[in-house]
Amino acid sequence: MRLTRMIFAAAVLMFVASPFSYAEEAYLNYKQYCMQCHGMHGKGDGVNVPAMNVLPRDHSDNKYMMTRTNTEIYKAIKFGGPAVNKSVKMPAWGDTFTEQELQELVGHIRTLCCEKELVRGVNFK
Amino acid sequence: MKRIFLLATVVMVFSSAPAGADESGAEFLEKQCASCHDLKGPAPATIRDLWKRDAPDLFYAGNKFRREWLVEWLQKPVRIRPAGVNYLRSINSTPPENQKKRSGRQFDVLWGTVLKPLKHVTLSAADANKAADALMDLAPHYELVANEKYTNPPGVTLDSGEILIDKVYGCVSCHQIEPGYGGYTGAELYTAGKRLQPEYMLSYIERPKNWDPKIWMPNGHVKPDDLQKIVKYLILLSKEDFHASN
Repeated sequence: MRLTRMIFAAAVLMFVASPFSYAEEAYLNYKQYCMQCHGMHGKGDGVNVPAMNVLPRDHSDNKYMMTRTNTEIYKAIKFGGPAVNKSVKMPAWGDTFTEQELQELVGHIRTLCCEKELVRGVNFK
Repeated sequence: MKRIFLLATVVMVFSSAPAGADESGAEFLEKQCASCHDLKGPAPATIRDLWKRDAPDLFYAGNKFRREWLVEWLQKPVRIRPAGVNYLRSINSTPPENQKKRSGRQFDVLWGTVLKPLKHVTLSAADANKAADALMDLAPHYELVANEKYTNPPGVTLDSGEILIDKVYGCVSCHQIEPGYGGYTGAELYTAGKRLQPEYMLSYIERPKNWDPKIWMPNGHVKPDDLQKIVKYLILLSKEDFHASN
């Protein structure tokens, strides 16, 4: 009986804790690779931006980001700006991230732009 | 018989003197550099390990640097990465009052020690030569540069190279191609040609991850022809005098 309880508790813990650990990894990746241009708060105001002739996307811009699907965001990260008709200033990160990390990053960007919609359960496609 | 053995021992000890001199270079590095630089490798394999890095890794310095540049730099060290070796330690999201843009748009700014001159040991000419020799011996990544061959392609000018670097591959977002022009988080490119071996530049641009698994430089999928042209441009660029008055 005690063992069953422990297994149950472990299962519950795994279920509850794993999304947080994914979120943390995604945040670390965002911090490490994206912040240099998209800024410390994802507002497209990174330290490199003053030299750029095309400004990075403001990930907190709910109005614009809601017009983009998850697939488009995924493609922009993996294959770079030109893959979604955007600037070459956004490089392709496909060699840097694993598939899972890419998916998690898309999820992280959604938390920056569209928290209300996430809570409402909007399908971002 | 004993005498012969003793003599042989003495000869062996003294004949190994050059090896001892070699060791002193390594010892010198260990004493002077190892507290900040990684001389043994491997490169950090996780982001958290990367963030612990205080100074550039030197364990593949022999694959990377040109010896003459090392000798010169060690006698007069200056900053190569405008945002430091780990840019996350040196950015701040709130610019000081005097740096706020009139347009209302503000960007993250450099902050802290990177705004001051680089703190680095300055060596004498003799020590710089000794350290450079020892550093050039650190070359574990031979396999990465062995297949690279710099072809010195014709027809590359500063203008055509800049188009490649800026408009085609967007390197200027993070790297500066002249003092003050370009991004901050990458190493300056206007000295790359005299700082780095061409084969290293070819290999690193082709896939930065091979050298530094978690570095914030992406694989730009640069075409082989363009790769040669970019390296040629970097070498041309490094011969420019950026401090000449106009």
